[in-house]
Amino acid sequence: MEDLSQAVSLGTSIMAVEYDGGVVMGADSRTTTGSYIANRVTNKITPIYDNIYCCRSGSAADTQAISDYVRYYLQLHQSELGEEPEVKTAAQLFQLLCYGNKNNLQAGIICAGWDQHNGGSVYNIPLGGSLVRQPFAIGGSGSTYIYGYCDATYKIGMTKEECKEFTKNSLALAMARDGSSGGVIRLVTIDKSGVEREMIPGNKLPKFYDGR
Amino acid sequence: MSIMEYNGGAVVTMIGKNCVAIASDLRFGVQSATISTNNPKVFKINDRCFLGLSGLATDIETLYEKLVFRVNLYKLREERDISPRVFSNMVASTLYEKRFGPYFTEPVICGLEEVDGVLKPYISATDLIGAPVYTDDFLMTGPCNPALYGMCETMWRPNLEPDALFETVSQCLLSSLDRDAISGWGAMVYLITPENVTVKKLQGRQD
Repeated sequence: MEDLSQAVSLGTSIMAVEYDGGVVMGADSRTTTGSYIANRVTNKITPIYDNIYCCRSGSAADTQAISDYVRYYLQLHQSELGEEPEVKTAAQLFQLLCYGNKNNLQAGIICAGWDQHNGGSVYNIPLGGSLVRQPFAIGGSGSTYIYGYCDATYKIGMTKEECKEFTKNSLALAMARDGSSGGVIRLVTIDKSGVEREMIPGNKLPKFYDGR
Repeated sequence: MSIMEYNGGAVVTMIGKNCVAIASDLRFGVQSATISTNNPKVFKINDRCFLGLSGLATDIETLYEKLVFRVNLYKLREERDISPRVFSNMVASTLYEKRFGPYFTEPVICGLEEVDGVLKPYISATDLIGAPVYTDDFLMTGPCNPALYGMCETMWRPNLEPDALFETVSQCLLSSLDRDAISGWGAMVYLITPENVTVKKLQGRQD
């Protein structure tokens, strides 16, 4: 039976890749309560500001609450700053909340976006609340299956299209192996001109060897 | 995490007009990790009797081999094939022998039973300690149960012809697997009629 004694969890495979001029962010779309798939078309890439989005993994409730707080604080900050906030600032706000409440939270977040001072940037804030900027970041339970693939495939200086292919292929592999990840792939591309959202349905996912 | 949900898996069986169908998913996993996608959970006992097992993978293997051993002895002594009804009883008593340290599997039995010279469809299932249930529509086992109940209640009708039964079982199973994180990666469907047994492998979502 749907196991309501187990919290709603974003099992998840999430990823973000930086390129010259912007970032590509990707995520699967599965939310589970125990083994029941509560939502198979979840949107795990949420807006924090016009130019800054975050990928959420871990507890659905925790990550929703944290991103709501960060969105609010960032709005206040922007009013005082007078210009678009930097991705680094949003990432540091995430860190403030995740590290300060580490005993009560289960949240793995990838914060990425584009700003005029730094171009595209990707920040990984894993479970303990550390902050690290990376050229590409992977997270969630499904990411464990694709560390090798990502390290072998990533190259410095990829174009936007190459980044999208890289993200799609990595997430498809993770979704195939991880029971807590699946559904559709959602992609968000952020650059100077704005935000572009895409969805790749199950039947259009890249296909790899699957035992047959 | 319950021990019955450690490996995942789903099995469903349905009765049609002079036929039965039994189907299972193909996943073998360890909690959320998928190890292989080639692990059917339906086994043939004889031409007229099939067994579906879900639950802990090691117990599925052991229980299946134990039952085959007992069925072979039955065949040697009785000089005839075991009927689904008798096999069902054998499964129940084998499980109850381990009442206080059970096999973590919940079997589903299906087949064609000879009653007064006519072959009639038969299905039954038991819980992990051998409590049997007999119905004339459908039965299922595995963590996918709630989803399967909804689909089967909606789509099953009595007296489905073999082709319609195959479609119904397949669609019920595939849709239910989409809502279970630890079952899926394809399905195998057996359709048993008095003339023959057909097996089809279904391509489902591979996630």
